[in-house]
Amino acid sequence: MVAVQPIGEQTSQDTDNLLSVTGLKKHFGGVKALDGVNFSLKPGEVHALVGENGAGKSTLIKVLSGVFPFDAGEITLDGAPYAPANPHHAKTHGVQVVHQEFNLLDHLSVAENISIEAMPKTRFGLLDRTEMNRRARVALDAIGLRDVDVCATVQSLGIAHRQLIEIARALQSESTILILDEPTATLTERETKRLFEIVQSIKAKGVTIVFVSHHLNEVFAICDRVTIFRNGKTITTENISDTTPAGVVRHMVGRKLAEEMEHGVELHTRGDIALGIKDLCVVQNPYDTGISFDLHYGEVLGIAGLVGAGRTELLRGVFGIDPLRSGTIERDGTPVKFKGPRDAIAAGIGFVTEDRKDEGLILEMPIAANISLANMRNVSASGLLRFFKEKQQAREGGKRLKLKYGKITDPASSLSGGNQQKVVLAKWLARNPKILILDEPTRGVDVGAKAEIYAILKGLVREGVALLIVSSEMPELMTLSDRILVLADHQIKGELERSEFSEENILKLAYGQNTNAEGIS
Amino acid sequence: MAEQSDILAEPTGRDFSIRSIINNAGIGLALLGLILFFSIFTEHFLNPNNITNILTQITINLILAVGMTFVILVGGIDLSVGSVMAFAAVVAGKAITLPGFGPTEVILLACIAAVTAGFVCGLLNGLITSYWALPSFIITLGMLNIARGAALHVSNAQTIYSFPFAFEEFGSAQIYGVPVVFLVALALVLLAWFVLNRTVFGRLLYGIGNNEEAVRLAGHPVFWYKVAAFTICGLTAGIAAVVYMARLNIASPIAGIGFELNAIAAVIIGGTSLSGGRGSVIGTLLGAFIIGVLANGLILIGLSDFMRQMITGVVIIIAVILDYYRARYAKK
Repeated sequence: MVAVQPIGEQTSQDTDNLLSVTGLKKHFGGVKALDGVNFSLKPGEVHALVGENGAGKSTLIKVLSGVFPFDAGEITLDGAPYAPANPHHAKTHGVQVVHQEFNLLDHLSVAENISIEAMPKTRFGLLDRTEMNRRARVALDAIGLRDVDVCATVQSLGIAHRQLIEIARALQSESTILILDEPTATLTERETKRLFEIVQSIKAKGVTIVFVSHHLNEVFAICDRVTIFRNGKTITTENISDTTPAGVVRHMVGRKLAEEMEHGVELHTRGDIALGIKDLCVVQNPYDTGISFDLHYGEVLGIAGLVGAGRTELLRGVFGIDPLRSGTIERDGTPVKFKGPRDAIAAGIGFVTEDRKDEGLILEMPIAANISLANMRNVSASGLLRFFKEKQQAREGGKRLKLKYGKITDPASSLSGGNQQKVVLAKWLARNPKILILDEPTRGVDVGAKAEIYAILKGLVREGVALLIVSSEMPELMTLSDRILVLADHQIKGELERSEFSEENILKLAYGQNTNAEGIS
Repeated sequence: MAEQSDILAEPTGRDFSIRSIINNAGIGLALLGLILFFSIFTEHFLNPNNITNILTQITINLILAVGMTFVILVGGIDLSVGSVMAFAAVVAGKAITLPGFGPTEVILLACIAAVTAGFVCGLLNGLITSYWALPSFIITLGMLNIARGAALHVSNAQTIYSFPFAFEEFGSAQIYGVPVVFLVALALVLLAWFVLNRTVFGRLLYGIGNNEEAVRLAGHPVFWYKVAAFTICGLTAGIAAVVYMARLNIASPIAGIGFELNAIAAVIIGGTSLSGGRGSVIGTLLGAFIIGVLANGLILIGLSDFMRQMITGVVIIIAVILDYYRARYAKK
């Protein structure tokens, strides 16, 4: 929707732009990753790129940062043609990217990571540690990370801090454009807020920021303009002040999925207690008091909390992956001991893990093989695989979850993030679990697939399945859950009923002081 | 949906093997190229006696490489197979020379002894590696020394010989020029192929090589699967020991030095990824053939054994580079 402008104004606008991209195309074999992208950056703005997974945002970023060359189109930076040959070239032009996947060296210190591109040297050509640590301190202070020790190894830090260290590293060298590729995907609300403060301060220094996110509330909180991608094309660029989240979503999906997602309120009839957790202490829990709750059939119990509150550890403990320090688990009123995932699965429990690439899927294996991974009995007879049955099971699971795939024998890596997540779901659903545990069920999943996954989960609850869901996205928890438990420091800080749901209430509990826990112990 | 009906007509199993055929096609072509080259440039390469010779020469390496394929598929390595083979041979040699038994009995006893010795060594490798989650490279390096030392100790560093005639006969028997011991190796290849491609066990071994955690979280006893892979490797070392004794009619405590490297080379040339999860035992068969054909052909062509060794080294490096491109291609 580029307005026709008189020629004189057009040129003046071009000179105003720090970066402008016109008619950019990039093909990978027969796949058109970018198919006519038009996009411009004004100096000092925060510009959002939104669109479903595979819409072309990441490819554009990779072209801008010199990872891929482009096939056709034009890019100008500061009025001069710009075609970075490699990431280093892009950096010398002041274009810095903080990638979605971390590029940190886990065993090295924060300071070493920050200086990795240009290590300071002494007169004798040796590594100048003092200077390196000083630079790192400056870089961390610049983004408000005063509490992080520059000599600590990256390994010892949480995911959120690693993200911020990447940003510190990127900002350390002179940058005119800072591209943040889904920086909040792994952050909790509190950390996101901190990141936003940092973004604002960087912006105040005159750096132009490109912000990629699946979360429209974030886009509307900190961005000045938004460019919407769909199928490798830019649909439109709008001023944030002139548009609404619903309007942006309509452009993104090209259909009115937004409303579908908001139809969340639906009270379930609570059944018997499926899982009784009594004073469960995971090994990481520093206190003597554990966590107790009941999970009923036909209900969704949400678990909220900040990163480090012990949410994932709790789920892993319940599922028998990590040993427990103390506490009991009752399944249908009978005490059980899970020595490993195997026992939990035998008790009718499924676990959709947080990290589908590391824990959920075998990416190089066919979709069908991934779905049967937890269901080998269904697809084999006396230890021999029945390929026909396996295929059939995968096809049925795929149909139920509206899985979009080429062939059921294609590797799982050929699917988009949302469809990969559906494969993980299908793997567990094929067992007809009575209890399904989900850790961040829609992380890195696009809007369309998200709505579909919500619909699937709601369908399960209607059938009487008990769901235990951990999510860092509060709207997601509030949409899905019947009750929400808020964790902090491996303790339950409060329980919210549907009528009490609000981001404010959750956050209040999540940030609550430790007085409670210490009082009990 | 049109695609879905296509899937109906295409069983997963066949698709798997089609893919493995394509993966193996390159190796097969390389082997054909070598055969063609040597049959043009040497006089005796295609001579039936020479072919029998090649088959005999690759047999032991092939048996060891079959077991090695299991270990490498789960992301491990077994450096001890050469020593374990010697240890198993010496133990079997002790059994076969026991006085007071008939020839059939001692042969049977020797076979059981060799296979058991291999089994125990493999089991130990697997248990120690899996229980402490240690790198198999180091553990099996330790076993390499232990088994070699044990072989020397048990035999007093003496070569054991004078076996029953029937045993020698088995070692040199041929069916239409094909050595029987080679047929044993081939049967092991087919059995391994069946286990890896048609059983739940085999599928999960591939799964463990790709993503151990995902397999564990799906409720499978990953620990025992890995132990099983190492145990199978030990077993094949035991079988190789029997074949070695039958062929040479001796059990030497210094047999099999460096055999582990040839076995690993066959697996890698055969296209199995050193990081696990990808590869096939058919590739291993072809890899063992490539090594055997090269060794034989280069000698026929008149190159020294030193040159032959250099060229085998080059082939290994080329195979790994090809594997790099294959992995990149597979990702796209």
